[in-house]
Amino acid sequence: MTNNALSLLQLCDSSFPIGSFSQSFGLETYIQNDKVTDANTFSEWLNVYLHEQLAYADGLAVRLVYDALDVDDLNKIWELDRILTVQNLARESRDGTQRMGDRMLDIAESIYKIPVLSIYAQKIRDKQAFGHPAIVFTMIGHHLQVEKTTTILYYLYSTVVSLVQNAVRAIPLGQTAGQKIIYTFQQQLQQTTDKIMELDQEEFGVVSPGLELSQMQHERVGIRIFSS
Amino acid sequence: MSEWTGVLDLVMENRLGRSVAKSVYFQGAFKVMRPVYFNKNSYPCYYLLNPGGGYLDGDRYQMKVTLGERAMLTLTTQSSTKVYRTPTKPVYQETIFHMKKDSYLEYLPDALIAYKDASCYQKNSIYMEKGATLLYSDILTPGWSPEGEKFSYDMLRLKTEIYMENQLVAFDHIKLHPASQHMNELGFMEGYTHLGSLIVVGEKTSDALLDRLYETIQQEAGEFTFGLSKLAVPGFTIRILANYTQVIERIISVCHHVISDEWYQTKPSFLRKY
Repeated sequence: MTNNALSLLQLCDSSFPIGSFSQSFGLETYIQNDKVTDANTFSEWLNVYLHEQLAYADGLAVRLVYDALDVDDLNKIWELDRILTVQNLARESRDGTQRMGDRMLDIAESIYKIPVLSIYAQKIRDKQAFGHPAIVFTMIGHHLQVEKTTTILYYLYSTVVSLVQNAVRAIPLGQTAGQKIIYTFQQQLQQTTDKIMELDQEEFGVVSPGLELSQMQHERVGIRIFSS
Repeated sequence: MSEWTGVLDLVMENRLGRSVAKSVYFQGAFKVMRPVYFNKNSYPCYYLLNPGGGYLDGDRYQMKVTLGERAMLTLTTQSSTKVYRTPTKPVYQETIFHMKKDSYLEYLPDALIAYKDASCYQKNSIYMEKGATLLYSDILTPGWSPEGEKFSYDMLRLKTEIYMENQLVAFDHIKLHPASQHMNELGFMEGYTHLGSLIVVGEKTSDALLDRLYETIQQEAGEFTFGLSKLAVPGFTIRILANYTQVIERIISVCHHVISDEWYQTKPSFLRKY
């Protein structure tokens, strides 16, 4: 492993303070409705979330942003920032993601001097962009010259790790059970990365109805420990 | 383009407070009936119809509707849209709405029914100017299959892009592909078969309206589940999962009533189907 990949790994740590601990992206709705109750049902949810939402939105965006950075096509990136945000029809997930993007950008700016990050930050301040963690993450990965597929894989990994940590607290699951899920998902992450590399751009933003519904319904869930 | 199976181009304008068609053009297997002005309304309802009775392999349809400043229109279908087996090429339908300043469009078509081995891609592009108000709905329904399978169609893809002053403000992309998705399981159709959506964009959107819609839908009878959420611009989406078209139609209809009452203190017309 190169030191550069190690630097990108820093962003994948579930303690990296961008507020992912407060986002469940609809998982809490399933927990409240007793649909997700243990390690098995949680893995089922995580599997659907990874393959049927994350891959088509954030995952494909990482690939496309990476390609755009390769050819210095910044307009393509601002376009992706907008579509990534507005395709999220559930308000809480949309707003939560935006806050995470903002937070990640803040920290990244204090660590790295990457011109495109500063442009992105300025655009967000000027309300010409929304801010999205997948885009910030890719800008850093690209700057560190981490390969595209590795950047996608790490991004998916960081999301999965945070969601598992959240499930451990919320369902609750034992810490060991959580770690077992993360280990088991390695193969899925690799498969999803392969799928993202093959996806047609036309497939962008596909969402499965149930997941989205649970994210909308979360707004009116009775007891909430998460903000999405 | 001559490669279309059916083309429709409708331009509406506001003429001294009354919305009328400036031009109506249709060709091939796509038609509109004469406009109906319900209850002395100042704007008409146009009914779309598909004289062929359904969409067949490789059919391509294009519908363009333009609303001038302050023009208003209700657009619906005469009956459900049926998509039959598409062994070689999916059916493609493209819809383009241009809505000028302060125009108003209700697009409330009947359900799209996808039969065994049917594949259909519907793409909607909606360009709005400031002050325009949109009520858009769709219902995706699996057709009857001889083997009694719940999801015998091949693929249903529905992509909707809404632009406000040339900026993308909402993007919806549904792809139902029963062969690769576990339709009955968690995250997909959650045990339901029918999917309905109502997307509303309007400056008068408020939290109070959303609360009222939420309570109204909750009081509806029948088996269904739904979600309701605000868009990034004033507006919202309502998503409904159910097992019958009628349940979704009823929910969309009560929401339409609530919106008309909150915003215009009017009651929507009953859209008679002949």
